[in-house]
Amino acid sequence: MTAMVPSILPPLLLIGPLAVALFLLTLPWFRDSLPEAFATDKGSVTLLERIHLGSVGYVFLLSVAALIQVLSSGAISAFGDWLFVDALGAVFMMLIGVVGLMTGLYSIAYIRHDLESGAIDAGKVRIYYGFFSLFLFTMLLAVTANNIIMMWAAIEATTLGSAFLVGLYGQKSSLEAAWKYVIICTVGVAFGLYGTVLVFSNAADVLADPHQAVLWTALVGHAAELDPMLVKLAFVFALIGFGTKAGIFPMHAWLPDAHSEAPSPVSGLLSGVLLKCALLIVIRFYVITVGTVGTGFPQMLLLTLGLLSVGVSSLLFFVQQDLKRKLAYSSIENVGLIVVALGVGGPLGIAAALLHAINHSVTKALFFCSAGNVLMKYGTRDLRAVKGVLRVAPATGLLMMGCALALAGFPPFNIFVSEFMVFMAGLNEGYGWIMALCALFLCITIAGLVKIVADSVLGKSPETMAKGDVGWKALAPLGVLAVLVLTLGFAVPQPLSTLVQQATAVVMNGDSRPVVAAPWQTYDRQTYDTARAGGQLVTGSLSQTEISK
Amino acid sequence: MITLPTEPLGLLALAAILVPFGGAAAIAASERASAKWLCQGFAAATVAVIAILVLSLLGDGKVGGTYELISFGSVSILGLVVDSVSVLIALAVIAIGLLVAVYSAAYLNAGNREHPDIGRRRYYAFLLVFIGAMTGLVFSSTVVGQLAFFELTGACSWALIGYYESPKALRSAAKALLVTHVASLGLYVAAALLFLSTGTFALTAIADLAPGMKAVVLLAILVAAWGKSAQLPFHMWLPDAMEAPTPVSAYLHAASMVKVGVYIFARGLMSAGGAPEIVGWVGSIMAVLTLVYGFFMYLPQVDLKRLLAYSTITQLAYILLALSLSVFGSDLAFKGAIAHIFNHAFAKTLFFLVAGALSYTAGTRLLPSLRGIVTKSPLLGVAFVCAALAITGVPPFNGFFSKFAIFAGGFEVGAHHWALMLLVVIALAESVGSFAWFLKWLGHSVPGKPSTTMAAAAPLPAGMKFVLVALVAMTLVSSSIAASWLG
Repeated sequence: MTAMVPSILPPLLLIGPLAVALFLLTLPWFRDSLPEAFATDKGSVTLLERIHLGSVGYVFLLSVAALIQVLSSGAISAFGDWLFVDALGAVFMMLIGVVGLMTGLYSIAYIRHDLESGAIDAGKVRIYYGFFSLFLFTMLLAVTANNIIMMWAAIEATTLGSAFLVGLYGQKSSLEAAWKYVIICTVGVAFGLYGTVLVFSNAADVLADPHQAVLWTALVGHAAELDPMLVKLAFVFALIGFGTKAGIFPMHAWLPDAHSEAPSPVSGLLSGVLLKCALLIVIRFYVITVGTVGTGFPQMLLLTLGLLSVGVSSLLFFVQQDLKRKLAYSSIENVGLIVVALGVGGPLGIAAALLHAINHSVTKALFFCSAGNVLMKYGTRDLRAVKGVLRVAPATGLLMMGCALALAGFPPFNIFVSEFMVFMAGLNEGYGWIMALCALFLCITIAGLVKIVADSVLGKSPETMAKGDVGWKALAPLGVLAVLVLTLGFAVPQPLSTLVQQATAVVMNGDSRPVVAAPWQTYDRQTYDTARAGGQLVTGSLSQTEISK
Repeated sequence: MITLPTEPLGLLALAAILVPFGGAAAIAASERASAKWLCQGFAAATVAVIAILVLSLLGDGKVGGTYELISFGSVSILGLVVDSVSVLIALAVIAIGLLVAVYSAAYLNAGNREHPDIGRRRYYAFLLVFIGAMTGLVFSSTVVGQLAFFELTGACSWALIGYYESPKALRSAAKALLVTHVASLGLYVAAALLFLSTGTFALTAIADLAPGMKAVVLLAILVAAWGKSAQLPFHMWLPDAMEAPTPVSAYLHAASMVKVGVYIFARGLMSAGGAPEIVGWVGSIMAVLTLVYGFFMYLPQVDLKRLLAYSTITQLAYILLALSLSVFGSDLAFKGAIAHIFNHAFAKTLFFLVAGALSYTAGTRLLPSLRGIVTKSPLLGVAFVCAALAITGVPPFNGFFSKFAIFAGGFEVGAHHWALMLLVVIALAESVGSFAWFLKWLGHSVPGKPSTTMAAAAPLPAGMKFVLVALVAMTLVSSSIAASWLG
């Protein structure tokens, strides 16, 4: 592990959303001493929106700044290495930045609509924006933590931060979903704590400086000295614990309820980012475990759970009638696929897992927000009642069709690129049958996605339904996400490719061979030969003119 | 930074792919009323592009080459292969695309007795995308390019089969998409294996594989081909796809979608530089099984379109049989297969468009109630006869010449393998049988006194007349074009 560069950015990144959250949530206590604008409902909502926009914009800008620093100078740290951002963490930090910004922008239109329709009142708006920032803060804390106890605490905090968002509408079903979410995740993450403590206590005995035993970077450096039996146990606990939060079968039970009951932008954030943050912690434990006991044991566990997740969720996905529940099951499936890719291992498998995590985040956030548009328009998520979206709201309909095709893994959308990479990694490592099974399960998902489009997006719209799309404020952020979905499918941009390559090196302890690219990206002879000679696995290919030469 | 290919051939091939996509975008951005005109305009422009490409390739001595597409700095995206085979098939794809576009404009309107419609933008846009995707597939020089366009044609056919949005149509559309997608997993396997062994997706790399791996890759491509070309065990989507508007059925069956399968297999074999015999055996045995099955499924059909669907299945089985026979060393069989792809495209389009014209004017396509077509509408009657004779391979129509080459090639390799000879003889028997069956319906429907349905038929729109005449001419001359082109 190379030395980390001290930087002010990680604490700066954290302090912004935290300050906003605290300010918004404690507002009633000192409202009287604030200017007039906070007093009236109308004025206060506009002000709240501005503060919220400032918060998500701040997170986005700071994460971009941190990313640039990580790419140029390697891992950065602060507070005596308690906080750090390496390439691996940077992948997830960027997801929080980008998806947080887009769902944050989308929230403005969505929450205003809810306010006008009377689903929530002005007080709830304040709660929403406050917890939105708090939620971002807790997730950022989870991905920037180097202290493993703090990692656990941050994951626990994300549950508390987001539970209020899930239960925002205060209806019986949403309160129940929030309750289930809190109970299952708290119990689950308690297992994670046990795993964390096991690793810590073992390391405290082994390491020369016991103070280091709490730092992940130190643990990875000394993984070989840890007790294999204890680490195996710890990995099982961590996988169950943080896997609960990541939505891995069979600990996924909270997920469909929470994702379907939450306001749509939050669903996008939960599905797109939160699951991935929990996965990051699983990956961090995976790195320690591999260092101690080798790849066999953790990969076997990951493959089993991943395949089960993909299989069960694809079937459950197909039978759902509630649009957002359907999407929630699809999230379980995609997380399952990421876990399978991790289990396949090898530099290609890890890179595929990371790329798929990124692609799925963007696509799923877009899909959930499109589902939010449907909800605004139709007032229901029941696919039996939602008909003819394309006629009622053409832009939303088009977005949904695009999302469905993207999620189904059709080229030229981004999911195709990463799914193909997962598939290739699997064949490369000799897991042909597992890949074949996954591919068949994915076909079931495609059937479900096609059904959404055929039954709900196309077809006749209800006659009473007023034509006309939701406003541009709701559509613009979705447009940006859609552009991302397409661009990433067309070609993986250079900085992203470098980032994934470096992140893979973190997981593989220095092996940075995969050069991540869309399969149709090709290289000239020199670049290609240099890469291959260095033992790199280039996922693009040699260009045509070079071959014919 | 984008740099386009500098060679004229590469540029033209790229234009042939991009013009239809541009047209689809233009349709999406304009009013419904102008959609059909834009569609025809862009399809015609694509024909112009491919015509120039044909001429410049001729001027080049039919050498062609492989061209790079768009590149970003040192990284470039996709490649194109321009040679006599790809240009010939692209010509059929694009020319038939134009004919179908013209025909559709006359078909999708309130005057249609079976499915009155207003001709939505969606239809024309997807039709253009379909043309572009199919052209892209034909020109692709990498397995991944093929895979991308393979899936894109699947998505287009899904949108078009489900166009009428009836529950049955939507179900059929989903079936087509899913069945072909399951089969496409073969192409995924082929792409991944090829890449892992050679480090590139270029089709030409198949030649460098070890024999065992080469067989696996080609068989994986063959599985994908079975799916798209509606062969056993993946044939079930095709008869259901008859829910599509008839011009779409014509395009699906003749020039795109089903031809994707045979084309990728042909391209794979061309690039392999000699395939292992196992590929030939698997391919030819499955082809003959499909042939026999398809023939028996003719017998219960009364809906003209469903009959044609099974006829497509058997015709594609001929092509796959010929391609498989070429593995045993018959160049004639390979050329016959390519020529048959070309010839069948025109003959089958004609037949479907006749079926469409019947449902447009008479409101039905059930054969028992269609009698005396030629008396009521001489052009339709003549077109029906030409189509039926061309499909069953009667001289002087085009089907005869390519089938003849296939059988001649078959007997050539059959002389060395009795089992192959047996397969060829079975295929020949099927050919005679299907001729007899089509003759039966021909005699029933075309001559004589018009039935009540037929007597009440409306006159044919001018657009349809033009397209039918053009296609009748092509059933006579297309084989000469193919023969002189392939040499």
